[in-house]
Amino acid sequence: MADPNFLAGIFQRIDKDRSGSISAHELQEALSNGTWTPFNPETVRMMIGMFDRDNSGTINFQEFQALWKYVTDWQNCFRSYDRDGSGSIDKNELKMALTRFGYRLSDRFYEVLVKKFDRQGKGVVAFDDFIQCCVVLQTLTSAFRMHDTDQDGWIRISYEQFLTLVFSLRS
Amino acid sequence: MSYPGQPGYGAPHYGQQGAYGAPNPGGYGAPAGYAGGYGGAPPPGGYGPPAGQFGAPQGIDPQIIQWFQAVDQDRSGRITANELQRALVNANWSQFNPETCRLMIGMFDRDMSGTIDINEFQSLWHYIQQWRSTFERYDSNRSGSIEAAELHTVYQQMGYNISPQFVQTVLYKFDHYGRRSLTLDLFIQSCVLLKSLTDAFRQRDTNMSGTINLSYEDFMTMAVLYKP
Repeated sequence: MADPNFLAGIFQRIDKDRSGSISAHELQEALSNGTWTPFNPETVRMMIGMFDRDNSGTINFQEFQALWKYVTDWQNCFRSYDRDGSGSIDKNELKMALTRFGYRLSDRFYEVLVKKFDRQGKGVVAFDDFIQCCVVLQTLTSAFRMHDTDQDGWIRISYEQFLTLVFSLRS
Repeated sequence: MSYPGQPGYGAPHYGQQGAYGAPNPGGYGAPAGYAGGYGGAPPPGGYGPPAGQFGAPQGIDPQIIQWFQAVDQDRSGRITANELQRALVNANWSQFNPETCRLMIGMFDRDMSGTIDINEFQSLWHYIQQWRSTFERYDSNRSGSIEAAELHTVYQQMGYNISPQFVQTVLYKFDHYGRRSLTLDLFIQSCVLLKSLTDAFRQRDTNMSGTINLSYEDFMTMAVLYKP
């Protein structure tokens, strides 16, 4: 965990209206994916949702410390795969990262994945979209696992169960 | 649900209900006449100059040209999801949500440019009008949104054999404001997703048993693909 005084300074800089808590808008302005494009608003909403323990819709200093650690961890992870420091990773780098996380998925799947999470239409995934992508994969995998009771990688599912499963995934 | 033995889950029986007016079964989101070429539709008689007279694209309804120009705010000759969003409103005057606009642009954007031209816009326009009239027909209390019971009736009539519990799941997931009902944009979105998933399921249910075996990778690909 980083030094609280150091974090307090950052917190105050982000909290532009000095309200004592950070709004989604303030957070989005503060976060950078290193490419001068605005941070993915879905990622911002998701992070607020994850760390806003008191359901205020904003992040207080205590919540901010956990959020900061989360973002820094992702950043370190992302940087280790973004070898050329371009601020984005390509399909192969993404596959390498996710394989390291334990996912076993085909090249065809990664093509679909990059296409879906590439907001800039450049065939690569930026930092903010990478976080979003990883969280989505995690959610999908645990939804599948709930049905895969014998853990063999296959599920037997009825029409309505199938619809309910996919519809329920909407965030 | 009593799935087996049914005339086919999720199969819209538009065929038997010719006058039903819902988007046709011709394939993913394709409105009636979509495959038949755009130029074929005669402009409604009685008003406006014939298309083409002012150098307008041939075969496009002049009213559509006017709408297109109003929506195309930067005059680029193409409409983006953002421009579309600014132009579309629900019955309660709220803007269409960005997801539905992206979804619809993606359905009609045949050259994958992320935008639509006037021909594609004409198809999209008819598509939205068809959904709007379906929506209005089932919004029996004229509230401007479709509630659980109404939604269950629409899905059933479209041929989707699903339970009231599933309708609750749809409402819970799509209705962000906790109103337990869907505005037109969300209704369109739910129908498009329902159709895509039903097609995907049916493709895998080769013996029509109503149950499929699904691998992890297949599931993941589908879920990512249909993610809004």
